[in-house]
Amino acid sequence: MDKLMRNKKAILLFIAPALILFTAVLFVPVCKAIYYSFCNYKLPGTAKFLGLDNMFKNYKQLLLKDQTMRMAFRNSMFFMIFSIVTQLVFGLFLAALLTNIKKGRNFFKNIYYLPCVLSSAALGLLWMFVFTPRLGINNMLASFGKWGGDCTLGPQWLFNTEGYIILPIWVVSFVALWQYVGQSMMLYMAQISGISSDVYEASYIDGCNKRQAFFHITLPLIKPMVATAMSLNAIGSLKFFDLIYNMIPEGFLSHKADVIATHLYTSAFKFRKLGYGSAIGVILLILCLIMTVLINKFVKTENYE
Amino acid sequence: MASVMTISKEKRQAKAVSTVIYIFLILLAVIYIVPLLWVLITSLKDDSTLMLSPWAMPAQIEWGNYEFAWTKGHLGTAMLNSLIVCSVTLVVSMFFGAMAAFAIAKLRWKLSKLTMYYFLIGMMIPIHTILIPLFVQFSGWGMSNTLIGIIIPYITFSLPITIYIMVGFFEGIPNELFEAACIDGCSVYKMFGTVAIPLAKTGFMVTGLMSFVSNWNELLLAMVFISDETKKTLPVSLTKFVGPYHTNYCQMFAAIMIAIVPTIIAYVAFANQIVEGLTAGAVKG
Repeated sequence: MDKLMRNKKAILLFIAPALILFTAVLFVPVCKAIYYSFCNYKLPGTAKFLGLDNMFKNYKQLLLKDQTMRMAFRNSMFFMIFSIVTQLVFGLFLAALLTNIKKGRNFFKNIYYLPCVLSSAALGLLWMFVFTPRLGINNMLASFGKWGGDCTLGPQWLFNTEGYIILPIWVVSFVALWQYVGQSMMLYMAQISGISSDVYEASYIDGCNKRQAFFHITLPLIKPMVATAMSLNAIGSLKFFDLIYNMIPEGFLSHKADVIATHLYTSAFKFRKLGYGSAIGVILLILCLIMTVLINKFVKTENYE
Repeated sequence: MASVMTISKEKRQAKAVSTVIYIFLILLAVIYIVPLLWVLITSLKDDSTLMLSPWAMPAQIEWGNYEFAWTKGHLGTAMLNSLIVCSVTLVVSMFFGAMAAFAIAKLRWKLSKLTMYYFLIGMMIPIHTILIPLFVQFSGWGMSNTLIGIIIPYITFSLPITIYIMVGFFEGIPNELFEAACIDGCSVYKMFGTVAIPLAKTGFMVTGLMSFVSNWNELLLAMVFISDETKKTLPVSLTKFVGPYHTNYCQMFAAIMIAIVPTIIAYVAFANQIVEGLTAGAVKG
C-alpha cells in the first residue's frame, strides 16, 4: 500500500497537468505583468525596459500624476468599504431573520440568492435602463404625479457628476448590494445553522431574549465566517468590472465613474498602453493581497471551533 | 391566572413580530422579482410603446425582438459558444483538478503541502493582473480570437478552487478503503478511478457548479480576447446592445431574457442544490 502511494511516476502523472497549466497560464503571466509594469510598452511595439534609474516611471505616473487613476482609486475604495459594510449588515440581518422564521425559509433564501448566479452583464443592462432619466424609475414616479408629471426634473442618476463620490457610483453600489447580498446571507446562514441549539436553550433559561442571544451568542460564534465573507467582498469589489462597464456607457462621464478595473481596461485595450495597464494590474494584485491579510489578521482573531 | 395572561401577551407579541418580518421579507422579494418580470414584459413590446408607457402591459406581443436578438444580435451563436466554452472548461478543470487533488490528499510525497499552498495563492490573483501578458502571449501564438484561447485561462482559473475543495473531499475518504482496494490488486490509477472519484461525487457537483456559473458569466477576459462576432460568448454579445447614441431597448431586453432564462430555469429546477453547493464552495474557498 505504502509503496503504491509513493509511486513517483503516478504522482508526477497526477500532478503534472494542473501544475504545468497553473504555472504557465497564471504564475508566469503574473511575473510577466510585473516585468511589463517596468517597461515602456505601447502597441504597436514591443516591451522595452525603462532602465534601472527610471524603472518606476509607470508607477510614478500612475500614483502621482494620473487624475483618472485618482478617481478610479477613490471609487474603488468607496465601493469596497461600502460593500464590506452593507453586505455585513444586511447579510447578517437577513440571515438572522431567515433563521428565525419557520415557513418559507427556503423560498425567500432562493429568491435573494438568485441574482448571484445571473450574469452581471445582463443585470447591468437592466439596471442601466431603470436608471435612465427619461425612462425607467423617473418615468414611473412621474406617472404617479411626482415632479408635476415631468420625468426630466427627476435626479439624473447615472449622469450626475457632482460631489465627492458621484451619484452613479452610489447607484452601482446599491445594485451590487442587491445582486450579491444573497451570497453573504447564505454564508452567514450556513454558519448560524451550525450552532448547536443547546447553547440558545441554555441562554433562554438564563433569561436571555432573542436580541441578546443574537449579539452575545450568534455574533461571536460566526466570527470566522465574517472574516471569510468580508475578504470575499473586499476582493470581489476591488475586481469589480461588469456592472460598471455595462451600466455606465464608456466615455460618458469622462472617466469620473471609473474604477481600477475599468481604468486598466481602457488604458491597456483602448489606448494600447500595455506597460501602464500592467502597472495598474500589479497595484490591483497588491491591494487584493493586502486586504486578505488585513481582514484575516484583524477579524479572524479567535476560532471557536 | 396572571401568568396565563402574560403568556398569551407574549404569544401575541411574537405573532406581531413574525408578521412584520414576513411583510419585510415579501417586500424585499418583490424588489428581487419585479425587475426580472419587467424585463420579460418589456421584451415583448416595441420601442415606441415603451417610450410612451414603460409600465403598461404589451398591447400586442412582439416576438420580433427575440428573433432580432437571436439572429442579428448573434445571441444564438453566442449561446452555443458559451455552452462549448463552459462545458469543455468544466470537464477538463474537474478532471485535472481531481487528479492533482488526489495526488495532494492521498499520495505520499514530500512537496505535497507546498504544492497545495502554491495552488492556493492562485485564488488571490485577480484575472485583471494577467490579462495583458496572456493577451500578448496568445496573440503571439495566434490563439486570440479562438475559443480555445479563452478556455485555457478559464480552466486555469477554475483549478485552484477545484483542487482546494476536492482535497477536502478526498481527505475525508478513509484510508482503509484504499488499502482494501490495494489488497484486491488495484493499481493507483484504478484506485483513483474506482474508489476516489465515485466517493467524491458531492465535491464534483460543488466545484462543477462554481466553475460553470463563474465562467458562464465571465465578461472581461472574453471581451478582450475575442473580437470575432461569431466567436463571442453570451456576456460579450450582450454588451453590444447598448450604443452611445441609439439603443433599441426592447431588443436589448429580449437579449437579456435570452441570456438569463436558461440560468433561471436551471436555478428553479435545482435551486436548493445550487445554493447549497455554491455556498459550500464559498465557505471552503
